[in-house]
Amino acid sequence: MEERDSLATDNWWDLRDLSNIAGEILDLAERIGGNELAFIVSPIIGFVAAFLIFILPTQLFLGVYGERKIIGRMQSRYGPNRVGPFGLLQPIADAVKLLTKESYTPRGADILVMYTAPIVFVAPAVMLMAVIPFGPNMVIADIPVAVLYFLAMASFPVIASFMAGWGSNNKYSLFGAMRIVAMTLSYEVPLVLVLLGTVVITGTMSLQDMVWWQSDNNIWLVFIAPVALVIFFIAVSAELNRTPVDIAEAESEIVAGYLTEYSGMKWGLFYGMDIAYALASACFAATIFFGGWSLFGLEQWVPPWILFIVKVYAFYFLFIWTRGTLPRLRIDQLMKFAWQFMLPLAALNLLLLAVQRLIVVEAEIETSAIWWLFGGINLIIAAAAIYGWAKVLGYRRDEVPERPRLVKEVGGYVPYDSSKGAR
Amino acid sequence: MMATHWFDGHELADLTERVAPGSVERSTDAACYLKVEGLRETMDTLRTSAETDFIFLSNLCGADYWDRLEVVYHLHSFEKNHLGTYKVELIDRDKPVVPSVVPVWHGAWMQECEAYDLFGIEFEGHPTLYRILLWEGFPGWPLRKDFLSMPGGLQPGLNEFAGTARRDEPPVRTVDE
Amino acid sequence: MSNFVHGEPFVINIGPQHPSTHGVFRIKATVDGEQITEAEMVMGYLHRSMEKLAEERTYTQNIPFTDRTDYLSSMANNLGYCLAVEKLAGIDVPERGDAIRVIMAELQRLASHCMAVGAFANDTGAWQTPVMWSFREREKILDLFEMTCGARLTCNYMRIGGVAFDLPEGFVEKTREIMASFPAFLDEMEGLLSGNEIFITRSRNVGTLPPESAISSSLSGPMLRASGVAWDLRRADPYCGYEKYDFDIPIGYNGDCYDRFIVRLEEMRQSVNIVNQALDSLPGGPHSTEVPLSLRPPAGEAYARVEGSRGELGYYLVSDGGPAPFRFHIRPPSFINLSALREMTVGGSVADAIVVLGSIDVVVGEIDR
Repeated sequence: MEERDSLATDNWWDLRDLSNIAGEILDLAERIGGNELAFIVSPIIGFVAAFLIFILPTQLFLGVYGERKIIGRMQSRYGPNRVGPFGLLQPIADAVKLLTKESYTPRGADILVMYTAPIVFVAPAVMLMAVIPFGPNMVIADIPVAVLYFLAMASFPVIASFMAGWGSNNKYSLFGAMRIVAMTLSYEVPLVLVLLGTVVITGTMSLQDMVWWQSDNNIWLVFIAPVALVIFFIAVSAELNRTPVDIAEAESEIVAGYLTEYSGMKWGLFYGMDIAYALASACFAATIFFGGWSLFGLEQWVPPWILFIVKVYAFYFLFIWTRGTLPRLRIDQLMKFAWQFMLPLAALNLLLLAVQRLIVVEAEIETSAIWWLFGGINLIIAAAAIYGWAKVLGYRRDEVPERPRLVKEVGGYVPYDSSKGAR
Repeated sequence: MMATHWFDGHELADLTERVAPGSVERSTDAACYLKVEGLRETMDTLRTSAETDFIFLSNLCGADYWDRLEVVYHLHSFEKNHLGTYKVELIDRDKPVVPSVVPVWHGAWMQECEAYDLFGIEFEGHPTLYRILLWEGFPGWPLRKDFLSMPGGLQPGLNEFAGTARRDEPPVRTVDE
Repeated sequence: MSNFVHGEPFVINIGPQHPSTHGVFRIKATVDGEQITEAEMVMGYLHRSMEKLAEERTYTQNIPFTDRTDYLSSMANNLGYCLAVEKLAGIDVPERGDAIRVIMAELQRLASHCMAVGAFANDTGAWQTPVMWSFREREKILDLFEMTCGARLTCNYMRIGGVAFDLPEGFVEKTREIMASFPAFLDEMEGLLSGNEIFITRSRNVGTLPPESAISSSLSGPMLRASGVAWDLRRADPYCGYEKYDFDIPIGYNGDCYDRFIVRLEEMRQSVNIVNQALDSLPGGPHSTEVPLSLRPPAGEAYARVEGSRGELGYYLVSDGGPAPFRFHIRPPSFINLSALREMTVGGSVADAIVVLGSIDVVVGEIDR
């Protein structure tokens, strides 16, 4: 990796890059206690910084409080407003309640599997955060295959969910487990394909380098491949069990799916980490599609990590919004959508991006304006492809109207003549 | 359309006799009593005949009059907009049997189960006659007038004070035969 | 389907404790994967033997029982029972009493349908939003009930020969205000759900019931109308002066869950219409006739039915001349509407069964009585 200009100064008080202050502290530790102390101090700094700046406010006050409050407003009710000022302490009260509840284990449950499932669920959620760049120097592990790492880690919850569903000795849990395995396997394919497209464009798998690429070219990947974002959002929603596609824990159908028999903090871990996965996905989307911590040069003045967090929150709001609005699909419809609709589109998207990358590389085009041109072309092709492919699949708007017929007279069956219209 | 025409019993008996000869037993002001024999065929005729056109089974229930049991059918026609009350009289209280009308109106399915459950009326030819509201083995037929004096029937009241009743025995007394 | 894999049938109990059975109702479903191959209804968890209890109490004392059958539309239950007793005893109701009854019955229909469409949307998976919006509107109507009779859910407002109290001061203005804002809520619901692609996919062609089997299964109310059968007791057999009001009967196209949903929405529009007309033409005079406290109707029998929120709600009463009914039978619409449940669920998936059950709009208090 070539040396780049740091966006911020090296002064420790420069809040635009928190790695400076961390570096100062590490230097101090090294002067006092040598290399060993610095080695111990550095993870503590990382943890404290991440916890105070990102995880605590986001997880608790966006993930729990914010989600409940926003959905509450969407449902024209207040949401949490009793515990603390504006109900802000609600997440803490929830956590205390969960910790004090009985952690119930049903008879006949496979205890080993059932108790291991939350652990398997939690660990990857924490590890996902390691590769997310918060600023030009603020990344815990800038590994060169971060995208691959993300996909691998994000697939772990499926195993945990299946363990939970299998171990609970409950038919609803088993239903949920079967559903989530089927669904995740289907949605992984388009997800990987669209991410492959972004990798082809930027030529790297490192998230930090992707941000630099977007920053250098002054374009976000979402403008180059808009359909990729849509597919990414839907696929990630499916993997995370967010509402339009939350068939694995469909509350009204199979009670709570694989979580039916979980209670207390065992359930709390699942709940909290669901939010963590959603946040990690939002971070990932913000990094890949929305330029991460860069904002067309504004990151020179505003601390990049604040920009990044704002983008994450905006993306997370989309999750909340869909959750508050949309009904749920059935599993066969969901599968059909993944395999018949999203997969061809993702493949087409990959093909287009690969061709465009090839053009840029072969013709040695230096100007980044070409990407705006390609973005426009891609947008048009995506719209045409969505429309055309829907037509090919036989999708059409419902011919039967959305309002019932009105009659004045009673007395038996009134046949429907579709040619005459609704009324 | 005019309001529903509610047949009185005699008028309905005339009509029924016209449509399905020999099916009427007697008639009162309120209802037309049908013969138990061939009830299903009579009902099928009443449903399909253009004159009666009773395609809608509005209500089916049992009734106990101490000396006899009755099954009441309220039948309706959409096209003609009239409603008739038919009854079937069952003298044998120990084993009241009446042909089921489920093949005629599928809507009778659950109502007949209910009448069986609460009155003990056997509906012959019902696909799955079971006690729909109470559990199998419930002693007696609760809506009969003599329910409390039935063999094995329940007596009101608890053996002991509520809350102190032992769990292993049901807190009810049964009458010994 | 699974000819080469032999195993035991997978039986899944949907209920009695389940978020979507709307009470303690149970479907014993045998499933093959996600597909239901056999569905058996188990009910009676809420059985209180009201028909027997009613034989021990006087005619007036039975009115509160009717509240407890269909607790989501207690006014309609009161009305049906009072009509039956009035028919039995030959009691006339003053005009104002009739008009108040109509207003209350239609308000109750609004409240009940609010619950129905909200819960149905919840069953299709719309996470609480439609049901909360419906509850918001339902609260306003329940406030009106509270204003009138002090109770919100089990109103016990109708009396034999009229209603218990006259309308309170400010009721008419308040009702007009709510009725003026109600269509906006319906538009909102239509905007949220009726055109929603996911909602249509979930409910269209699910639980389809052709008109022949709807009639044969004795379905009534929105279920029957959704199958395309134009039948409404308010029009066919008017009671309480329904013939004076101008309203339309919404009927569906092919009798699936979506049709039931839109039929209910449109019925709410018509109910708003009726309430407005009834308020405009609210006559003066007494709200109730004097009826002796221990009413002893002459021996005989009467069957009266009203178009309740869930369908034809009938009361069959037999009198032997005593102060208590000799036989008291309720024709519960949601109980009889369940006759078609098996036909609608078998062959579909578990998710479909939930949607179908939501579209029937069952109230377990009424099923079990």
